[in-house]
Amino acid sequence: MTEVQLDLTVNGRRHRLSVPAHYSLLDVLRDELELTGTKTNCLEAECGVCTVVLDGKSVASCAVLAAQCQGREVTTVEGLAEGAALHPLQEAFVEFGAVQCGYCIPGMIMTAKAFLDENPRPTREAVREAIAGTLCRCTGYQKIVDAIMAASQRLSQQGERA
Amino acid sequence: MNSPFRIIGKSFPRLDARGKVSGKAIYGTDFAMQGMLHGKLVHSPIASGEIISVDTSRAMAMPGVYEVVTAKDIPAQRYGSFVKDMEVFASGRVNFIGQPVAAVVARTAEEAEAAAKAVKVEYREQAAVFTTEDAVKADAPLVHPDWQEYKAVPTVKRQGNITNQARLVLGDVDKALKESYRVFTHRFVTNVVHPGYTEPRAAIAHWADGSQLHVWSNTQLPFEAQATLAEIFKITPSQVRVNVTVIGGGFGGKLRLGVEHYAAAAALKAGRPVKFVSSCEEEMTSALPRQPLTIDLTTGVTKDGKILAKAASILVDTGATSGSGVGVASSVMLMLAGPYKIPNLRLESRSVYTNKTPTGSFRAPAGPQGNFAVESQMDIIADALGIDPLEFRLRNIVREGDLAPNGQKLESVSLEECLLKAADAIGWKDRRPEPGRGKGIACAWWTTTSGSSGVYVKVGPDGQVFLNTGCAEIGTAALTGAAQVLAEALGIELGSIQIVSGDTASTPFDFGAQGSRTAFAVGNACIDAVGKLHQRMKEIAAKQFSAKAEEIEIDGGAAKFGDKLLPLKEIAAIAQTSQGGLIAHGTFIAPPTLHDKERTENMVITAINSPSFHAHAVDLSVDAETGEVKIHDYVVVQDVGRAINPTYIEGQIEGGVVQGIGQALSEEIVYENGIVRNAGLTDYKMPTAMDAPNIRSFIVESPSKVGPYGAKGVGEPPVIHPPATIANAIASAVSARVQTLPITAEKIVRTLTEVSETAK
Amino acid sequence: MKLEFLAPQTLQDAVTMAKARGDAARFIAGGTDLVIQARKSGTWPEAVINLQQIPDLGEIKGSGQNFSLGSLVTHRQIEREGRFAGALEALRESACVIGGHQVRNVATVGGNLCNASPAADMVPILLCLNAEVALAGSEGRRVVPLASFIEGPRKTKRAHDEVMTEIAFSAPAQKFASAFLKGGRRRAMEISIVAMAGVVSVSRDGKLTDVRLAMGAAGPKAIRLTEVEKFLEGKALSKDVLEETGRLAAAAASPIDDVRASASFRRHLAGVYARRVVELSWNRISEVGNDRSAA
Repeated sequence: MTEVQLDLTVNGRRHRLSVPAHYSLLDVLRDELELTGTKTNCLEAECGVCTVVLDGKSVASCAVLAAQCQGREVTTVEGLAEGAALHPLQEAFVEFGAVQCGYCIPGMIMTAKAFLDENPRPTREAVREAIAGTLCRCTGYQKIVDAIMAASQRLSQQGERA
Repeated sequence: MNSPFRIIGKSFPRLDARGKVSGKAIYGTDFAMQGMLHGKLVHSPIASGEIISVDTSRAMAMPGVYEVVTAKDIPAQRYGSFVKDMEVFASGRVNFIGQPVAAVVARTAEEAEAAAKAVKVEYREQAAVFTTEDAVKADAPLVHPDWQEYKAVPTVKRQGNITNQARLVLGDVDKALKESYRVFTHRFVTNVVHPGYTEPRAAIAHWADGSQLHVWSNTQLPFEAQATLAEIFKITPSQVRVNVTVIGGGFGGKLRLGVEHYAAAAALKAGRPVKFVSSCEEEMTSALPRQPLTIDLTTGVTKDGKILAKAASILVDTGATSGSGVGVASSVMLMLAGPYKIPNLRLESRSVYTNKTPTGSFRAPAGPQGNFAVESQMDIIADALGIDPLEFRLRNIVREGDLAPNGQKLESVSLEECLLKAADAIGWKDRRPEPGRGKGIACAWWTTTSGSSGVYVKVGPDGQVFLNTGCAEIGTAALTGAAQVLAEALGIELGSIQIVSGDTASTPFDFGAQGSRTAFAVGNACIDAVGKLHQRMKEIAAKQFSAKAEEIEIDGGAAKFGDKLLPLKEIAAIAQTSQGGLIAHGTFIAPPTLHDKERTENMVITAINSPSFHAHAVDLSVDAETGEVKIHDYVVVQDVGRAINPTYIEGQIEGGVVQGIGQALSEEIVYENGIVRNAGLTDYKMPTAMDAPNIRSFIVESPSKVGPYGAKGVGEPPVIHPPATIANAIASAVSARVQTLPITAEKIVRTLTEVSETAK
Repeated sequence: MKLEFLAPQTLQDAVTMAKARGDAARFIAGGTDLVIQARKSGTWPEAVINLQQIPDLGEIKGSGQNFSLGSLVTHRQIEREGRFAGALEALRESACVIGGHQVRNVATVGGNLCNASPAADMVPILLCLNAEVALAGSEGRRVVPLASFIEGPRKTKRAHDEVMTEIAFSAPAQKFASAFLKGGRRRAMEISIVAMAGVVSVSRDGKLTDVRLAMGAAGPKAIRLTEVEKFLEGKALSKDVLEETGRLAAAAASPIDDVRASASFRRHLAGVYARRVVELSWNRISEVGNDRSAA
């Protein structure tokens, strides 16, 4: 048996798949589920464009074996917005000019999402540390940090209201 | 602030932002077609040699494999920018490690990759040459033994491994150096750096009926891709259609063909669409990095710090093909002479083949290399003369109306303002605030690349406006900038504009997203289109109001006759029912920059068009024991002519500076006998968010006569100054002058050890 | 590609599967190293045996002096572990410099040790803490000192059917502090060119005692700097003492030249970081709250 039966929840939708055992989580997301919002580049967990949230934690999906995700929950960038309403992180990225070519942005936003869930009110330095594993070549990171800081504020205000 | 503009100068979010943050934008790597196969390349493992045989039988027998494609499957045809020295697959011989020799087409990328390893190529290895110094020797092995048979532009003067020898000459350098109070000579050596776009190069090709080629790719230049593919496959350009996907960064690395030609060759043989995506290793070994330069620079000065003469000998290592390195060898001379007034110049450059990765046009192609040399040496000289480096610069910089080294008259010169503002912002007066801490400054000029642009501006009956351009959006938001120009000129809101771009079949020609020209040139074409639309609006309104066209005024987005208004959308609706819609073809070509042709010999780039001026300053500390550099503050003052969208101008500045910091401190493709020793992102070290400092941008607006609302090119300049600025600050902080890039911790410590040993 | 994925639910099953398949099978925990290397080379093992569903391997246990890290404890768990704040700070410092969050959320301490990279950042501090690793295999359970467990680059005493289950260590009985420093070209995402960890205590008369220093990436495997430790025992911290510390540490390094750094620069940094780790730990002593004699 070289295929594995996989029960995987992606963005709230449960999938039952049969995939080759050596497939990475990235392979399953992009090739099997055709969710291309999660990007592909270095395939050695150095660039971070493939970052998704797995059971609440950010992971480089290129370096995670899909078979190890049996029964687990994945959130990708496609799962953040609610209908037409963007997630506060997505909104802030638009508003603060944090997006240029945009290829790192899904990974960047998912890295930030998992981080803010753990650390709702971080310092700028902590944000820089959190996104160090996600390379951006366009922005120099400054506006990305601005956007994440702004989103953290909005998210905690939402949290307080809730 | 009282701005005369509604849209210009305001930081609107880019028009494509929502698709990008939601993961819905379709990039080159994402694009797929029904029936698509996947291709992978077979690379040469040797740096120089003849191909004896290619055995594809084992690969063909592997699972999923459809075809193996080699040079035999496509026309024998060399292509290239200045010298036609490139080929799709190596035919007779290979001349760098990583050169594509064949491609495997299979059902999946993984099967293609596995089968690519099974293609057996036999080589007869020959002597190779890896440095420009060796390559220019009379008895050096020839990278291209058949170089004389290659076609080339008439400007270039070739000989063996040398693809051009160019000169920029003014006055009498020998006499001036003799008369100089002091003469300084230094060698500066720069590094091979990769553009580092996060999306690898990707393409899908499909031959509709064997003669019509359709390519989707993340190219920066769809029309150049079209022309080159037509040349390669010996068909006419109109038989090739190139569509640009969303692009994950370019920085000049996606100007030339990336994988489009492999996809096209493979699709031709397989009879099915074929997709190619570069691997990270391929990006590091066989993409188009920045040329490394060796610059020997001699400068003569008077006692009071006036530059009398500059002489330079420059070797540009273009790798195994000349590519745009020929252009770099020309434009670097304009960088080395400036931005200073120098009465005597003798700059000589040679672009040279070596058996290494072919190089390309990474953002400001000659900028960082030339600036590192000239601006490092300015500080060395200032220190030797006991003059403050800022003051030394101010005594020599160009000012309004001065002639550039090529004899062109400079206008809208804001350099002094840029330097003074940068010095003020960084706190220049306190240049060495504490031991191990120092500040550095550097300045430059840069060109706004010319070339023609066309747009169609089409107005729908709902008032929505389509900006249809052949230029691609590579991430800079320059097309949002062009749309802002359009919205301003047409009197509409930015939100009413939708951009359609990068399709050689349906969009008008554009010279493309390169050379800091996109917002500048496309914006100007938009203004031209608006002029034509206004005329059409007047004619339609005149008919409506039974008036003469010249009696109609344009007020905001409407036509006005007396107190009667006809809004744009109504005009468009009328045009749609009566005359095939409201559409205009706007065009732009920058006026030629006049210069003295007597001064330039064999130069393929001779002018600085609509020059922009800028200065950078940095405040940093150096740990003298570990060599670690910590940047406290980084300041950029850039003259953009007119800031169309300040947020994305800052974005260009911040991103460019961090890219430049990478070239300055950490990035380098390291070769050993032609082999890349760090072919992956583990050891090719681009700055992370932890390495990037906070950057303060100050925008200067000294309007250009040519640009839309006075705008100048913005995108390339920020990457130019960081190596020199940082080198100068390090020298100021710890007296370590490093003249080779990157300035690694190890080099700083070694230099300090040498300095302390000399002192003993 | 004919990879078989095995998902044992118990330690015993994992060991049995590994024994049955011999060298053809490999254990997989976080997978960050295995998956990347296999994909890159195109060579997968015949089978991987997933350790992630085995209970109890993912916990940090202990308090006071004695701790154990389950082999599946991730780097992020260690860097965020409150019990390691203060005296054992070097554990957190070592854990937080490996890759980005995306890797540290997945990569395990057991993987870091079993891979036995000379530059593995967790190793120096665990050597300082005299860590012992527990291995469970078909021949039973055994405990091996970490110092002898790693034999050389990518080489350990682990038999192919042995699962590393935990890493146990005891903190010094007296008041102590620790520090970790590493050299690399960037401030993040770096494979160390030199890594240095230290644990020091100070006697009542203000002298260094029970000094432990370990160095990584400066030789085929991370090592304790026993010469330096002996030299420092009973000494008060001074400029001369620190200088000799650096000299001895540099002399103990046997680094290689590679694309990341030259051997001579690594040797130089070994001296600098040894000095700084000792100084930093010494300065931290007054800040840490683990003085049990006072309690």
